[in-house]
Amino acid sequence: MELFDNLFLGLSTALQFNNLIYCLIGVVIGTAIGVLPGIGPIPTVALLLPFTFGLAPASSLIMLAGIFYGAQYGGSTTAILVNVPGETSSVVTCLDGHEMAKRGRAGPALAIAAISSFFAGTVATVVIAVLSLPLAALALKFTAVEYFSLLVLGLFAAVILAHGSVAKSLAMVFLGLLIGTVGIDVNSGVARMTFGIPALSDGLDFVPVAMGMFGLAEIIANLERPEVRQVVSQKLRDLVPSRADLKAAFPAMVRGTFIGSALGVLPGGGAALPPFTAYALEKKVAKDPSRFGKGAIEGVAGPEAANNAGAQTSFIPLLTLGIPANALMALMIGALMMQGIQPGPQVMTEQPELVWGVIASMWTGNLMLLIINLPLVGLWVSMLKIPYRLLFPAIVLFCCIGTYGISNSAFNVWLMLGCAVVGYFFIKVGVEPAPLLLGLVLGPQLEENFRRAMQLSDGDPSVFVTRPISAVLLGIVALMLIAMLSPAVLKTRKEALAE
Amino acid sequence: MTLRLLKAAAAALTLCGALAPSFAHAQNFERPVRIVVPFAPGGTSDILARLIAPKLSEAVGQPVVVENKPGAAGNIGADAVAKARPDGHTLLLMDIGSLAVAPSLFPDLSYNVENDLAPVGMVMFGPYVLAVNPSVPAKNVSELVAYAKANPGKLAVANSGVGALNHITAVALARDLGIGWKNVPYKGGAAASRAVVSGESNVIINGATATLPFVTNKQLVGIAVTGEERLAALPDVETFKEAKLPLNDAGTWQGLLTTGKTPPEVVARLNGELNKILALPEIQAKIAEQGGSPRPGTPEAVKSWLVTNIKSWGDIVRAADIKTN
Amino acid sequence: MTTRRFDWPDLLFGLFLIAVAAGTFAATWRLAGGSAADMGPGYMPRAIALALLAFGLFFAGRGLLRGHAGIPRVQLRPILGVGASVGAFALLIEGAGLAAASLAAILIAACASRESRFLEVILFGLVITAGAVLLFVKALALPVAIWPW
Repeated sequence: MELFDNLFLGLSTALQFNNLIYCLIGVVIGTAIGVLPGIGPIPTVALLLPFTFGLAPASSLIMLAGIFYGAQYGGSTTAILVNVPGETSSVVTCLDGHEMAKRGRAGPALAIAAISSFFAGTVATVVIAVLSLPLAALALKFTAVEYFSLLVLGLFAAVILAHGSVAKSLAMVFLGLLIGTVGIDVNSGVARMTFGIPALSDGLDFVPVAMGMFGLAEIIANLERPEVRQVVSQKLRDLVPSRADLKAAFPAMVRGTFIGSALGVLPGGGAALPPFTAYALEKKVAKDPSRFGKGAIEGVAGPEAANNAGAQTSFIPLLTLGIPANALMALMIGALMMQGIQPGPQVMTEQPELVWGVIASMWTGNLMLLIINLPLVGLWVSMLKIPYRLLFPAIVLFCCIGTYGISNSAFNVWLMLGCAVVGYFFIKVGVEPAPLLLGLVLGPQLEENFRRAMQLSDGDPSVFVTRPISAVLLGIVALMLIAMLSPAVLKTRKEALAE
Repeated sequence: MTLRLLKAAAAALTLCGALAPSFAHAQNFERPVRIVVPFAPGGTSDILARLIAPKLSEAVGQPVVVENKPGAAGNIGADAVAKARPDGHTLLLMDIGSLAVAPSLFPDLSYNVENDLAPVGMVMFGPYVLAVNPSVPAKNVSELVAYAKANPGKLAVANSGVGALNHITAVALARDLGIGWKNVPYKGGAAASRAVVSGESNVIINGATATLPFVTNKQLVGIAVTGEERLAALPDVETFKEAKLPLNDAGTWQGLLTTGKTPPEVVARLNGELNKILALPEIQAKIAEQGGSPRPGTPEAVKSWLVTNIKSWGDIVRAADIKTN
Repeated sequence: MTTRRFDWPDLLFGLFLIAVAAGTFAATWRLAGGSAADMGPGYMPRAIALALLAFGLFFAGRGLLRGHAGIPRVQLRPILGVGASVGAFALLIEGAGLAAASLAAILIAACASRESRFLEVILFGLVITAGAVLLFVKALALPVAIWPW
């Protein structure tokens, strides 16, 4: 069968000794920068680009890809241990992952995150191998109209996210949408609410907002409580997930993997949606949704799997169409072109050992990550033994350096400070910041795509229901609305949400 | 428009390039040198800066670091260089076309392009490719113009942002050809290319680096290219000049600049080193892979390029009433 | 716990939303609105602000009427300490370099906790500063000066 031939070809490339080494270097660097708050894979890949000139194309791409998914692994470690999300994807991991850590279950949380990511990585590798061509065709069918409908669906999922009152989380989504409009309006080029500050013209960066509202606000609130000596158990039994944990996490992993694989293919909006959607789904199918936000292991497994699967399938548009799904994939194109390879559909046929080698290396890379990360769980957990009075100044500093490094400007550090104060206020009045972050990420795209769709259709709103994919997506939204508003569901929601 | 002047400038560039290295070693560098790239990593400017940095480091005997300062269409990074110490240790590498339109697009710009920045030299020119989605029934310029005239409003030109050079180019083309097409803004050139490949919009004018692969793969149909000659990769696609289109020299002009009031001998030293680097075969090969050609030249040539284009692009911006503020 | 005549969390959250909505209207009144089919740049911000205003009034009203919930007492030391630490870092990083900014951030942040010990913090600050310089500047090549000169 052709599939096996291809995978075999890929494995024979990926398993060459030097490619294994570059893969290892990539995932180790990736894990390290993922653990450090704020330092993302994009600047790291840019930094390493010149060093890849001398490598064979496959080796360089294998290493750069390793940095990318390695960073996803590392990011969840920081999110679980100290509640600092370095990327959009790890916000969701904070919700239940950090809660588990607070309850002394950091070990199982970290282990489940690693296992879920490995599982998703394995499945996503097969998905890429089998489905990349049809999925790429699907991604091309997504125009502004379909994106708008998909984003509407994503925002509705956000309402299910929060574990407080529905009204409050809706209000937070709107607040996020509002701060998402800050900056130069893509459609008209007009600056909005920038108050004459040039640094605001590209909008608020996600990282300082997330680190301020989650990381720093949490530190401030923690310091108000007298220090509780956390009993950190180093017994092996408490570090590994129990059989019950695995049983609870496994279905979530499977669901998360499929959500992530599907959404990751979509250029643009794809990156933020998988973990959020997976979390919402887990909460929806759970027998007892009230456990979410209080350390539910499915709340770690689902989003982590979705996140990793999405990270890998986002390579599909790049490998099959030469179209970058996000800023990082654009960098990968840069790397390819430096090697004298013009990205595009012909790469698949002209350089099969390159494409399949990279795909197969994702699997070997994920295996390496699992092997590296599982023994490290004990080490990470023992980090919590550092007294909080020493741990927190270090976290504050790393947050500062990380936000500074995003665009090498102090402005983002000030922005993080402002968000920390607002986040502290939110803790005091008891509202969850997660829906706000989703609104912030999706809001600008929602508006951009809506207005672009209207411009292209000459102001005719019927395109949203006459185009089939969009109609289906909006139909799901309508069903969700009806389900939410129907009295029976309302009652169970109330019970579920009463705390 | 200012075609003749620009051609003269380009000729001057090539001529002066040969004379420049004699100024070298006039100045020493005591601290690390920064090359500020006012865009996110991965773009043409960024890649060029990262290519040049190690060579420049060898030449001046100091570390050379590339610093990305994205934001506000390149103005945040340019402003940082404009306000740095005027000693030639802070450099700016960017598409100087963006610098040329900045004064007309942003009336309250925080720096003066002509006075606060000192040109060091041109680095490369990358031509634009005008291409359409295969659903558009046109294979060359005359068919495209005829189609546009017969079907007003059917063509939607994707650009990489309001006020971006390819937006202004599209506006100017429409004006000069007397056609009406929609200008649809996207966030960057990659998103715009994607939209034209998927058929959401159907025309694109964009740097050859990003767009050429789609044309060679037949995902897009090449209509015309800017620059003096046809592209080696697209021998059948006519140039703007052959097709009697205006704006033959539209494209990406990547230039190196430093802080205004930097002593001329420091600028001369930097210019000499830059031109030596651009003469290296490996650098020339890498620049060719970016879809461009190296353009060594003098600081003065860059200066006159800026002066000319600040005016000519500015006229287009004002005539079309493109605003970002 | 403060007085409990009102539901303070709801009331404050509501007032916060109203203030944000009012600020948005003030900041965007100059922008063109357009219609739903042909939106101007001001349409979305004002539409969202309108929704926020409604939410704000709802929460504030409910907070006034429902009553009987306080908010945990606000302590000034943590928020001032952490805030000053981040602020010091932002002020120092570009002029004074990473070493000074890091040390200042650590020392000031430590003031936020009552449990910090003087000598321990100084020592820890120096170690972390050295580590940060090595990690971010030497290993990750973050383009930032280490020293003020």
